[in-house]
Amino acid sequence: MIISKLDFLDRAQLDRETLEVWIEEEWLVPSGTATEPAFSEADLARAKLIRDLRQDLGINDEGVGVILNLLDQVHGLRKALADMLQFVRERSVQSDAGSSMGQRQDRE
Amino acid sequence: MKDPYEILGIERTASPKDIQKAYRRLAKKLHPDLNPGNKGSEERFKEVAGAYDLLSDPDKRQRFDSGEIDASGAERPRQQYYKDFAAEAAAGHPYENRSGFADFAQADDIFAELLRRQARESRRARGADLHYRLSIEFLDAVNGTTKRLTLPEGGSLDVTIPHGIQEGQVLRLRGKGAPSIGEGEAGDALVEISVNPHRFFARHGDDIHIDLPVTIAEAVLGARIEAPTPTGSVILTVPKGSNTGTVLRLKGKGVPRRGGHGDELVKLKVMLPSEPNPELETFLTNWATGTSYDPRRDMQS
Repeated sequence: MIISKLDFLDRAQLDRETLEVWIEEEWLVPSGTATEPAFSEADLARAKLIRDLRQDLGINDEGVGVILNLLDQVHGLRKALADMLQFVRERSVQSDAGSSMGQRQDRE
Repeated sequence: MKDPYEILGIERTASPKDIQKAYRRLAKKLHPDLNPGNKGSEERFKEVAGAYDLLSDPDKRQRFDSGEIDASGAERPRQQYYKDFAAEAAAGHPYENRSGFADFAQADDIFAELLRRQARESRRARGADLHYRLSIEFLDAVNGTTKRLTLPEGGSLDVTIPHGIQEGQVLRLRGKGAPSIGEGEAGDALVEISVNPHRFFARHGDDIHIDLPVTIAEAVLGARIEAPTPTGSVILTVPKGSNTGTVLRLKGKGVPRRGGHGDELVKLKVMLPSEPNPELETFLTNWATGTSYDPRRDMQS
């Protein structure tokens, strides 16, 4: 699961200097240490996204930072909403079970 | 198969610049990472990217225009997008950002409570555990010691090796791993121990095994000789009439364990003198009983 710096550069088609700038800008936050960073598949997909933004979509570096920040917020919101829905569903299942049990008791 | 010009919404005479412009306009709307959760945009983006792949390459475009290849030749393989990871990631991952609804969390309802709980969890997420390997000498493993581990990223870590540690055992140093991204505790350093073999000691559980060479005279007549143990030499009494394979037990001279020590098991090995010895040869020639016993009796079937 963990990708070394060399493999990462190769698979993301990046050069060393560019990667260093991206890490400095906190567009990428690898785990591990500064001298021996450890990348995940998620970091790799994120690097490809940054590449798409800059090359295919012609977005400049200032824009990339803004987009990543907003995207991270969108994902945070999506997850919060998913958790919320899960919570509401669990609650409604519980209350359904509760009310049907109540009905049975009434009949007895 | 749709026409790539149609997909990008351009004329067949469009310049490369127009093609790029059209692609960018669509990609900004349709890029899957800019539309997490919208399956339809992902499908359309694939079409658009495929059309762009074909038309942005002058050679491929020319061959398509002349009918040599069709539009299917240029479909992009499905890429894994960042959104797929962001959706699955656990709370507290480095890119998580929930500041977009911090204002909701002030309120006093279920949603606010849920958000507060998650924020606490992600802030408290521990740092990563770091793994190291440390190889130590056999006697250090038996008796315990302190070792300094030099870290690859600089600095060092003092590791207390408890006595009796075994090959492959992992020591967990609390809080010596990577720091937390938020306000949580640092991770742990996990140090896997490998033990170098010893020249003559071997370990079986908590017992130490050793093959100890003795002379014929010591074996036949009995003797008090020095035997090495992990904590230094001790005097060992070899009983009269001992043999190769005789095992003598030194109580409590093995590996320290809870409530005591294992034993050291000394297996004797009778050794002839390294040089041929005429005196011994003469004695054995005249030693009548030497030929009357059969050490291979048990092997006859």
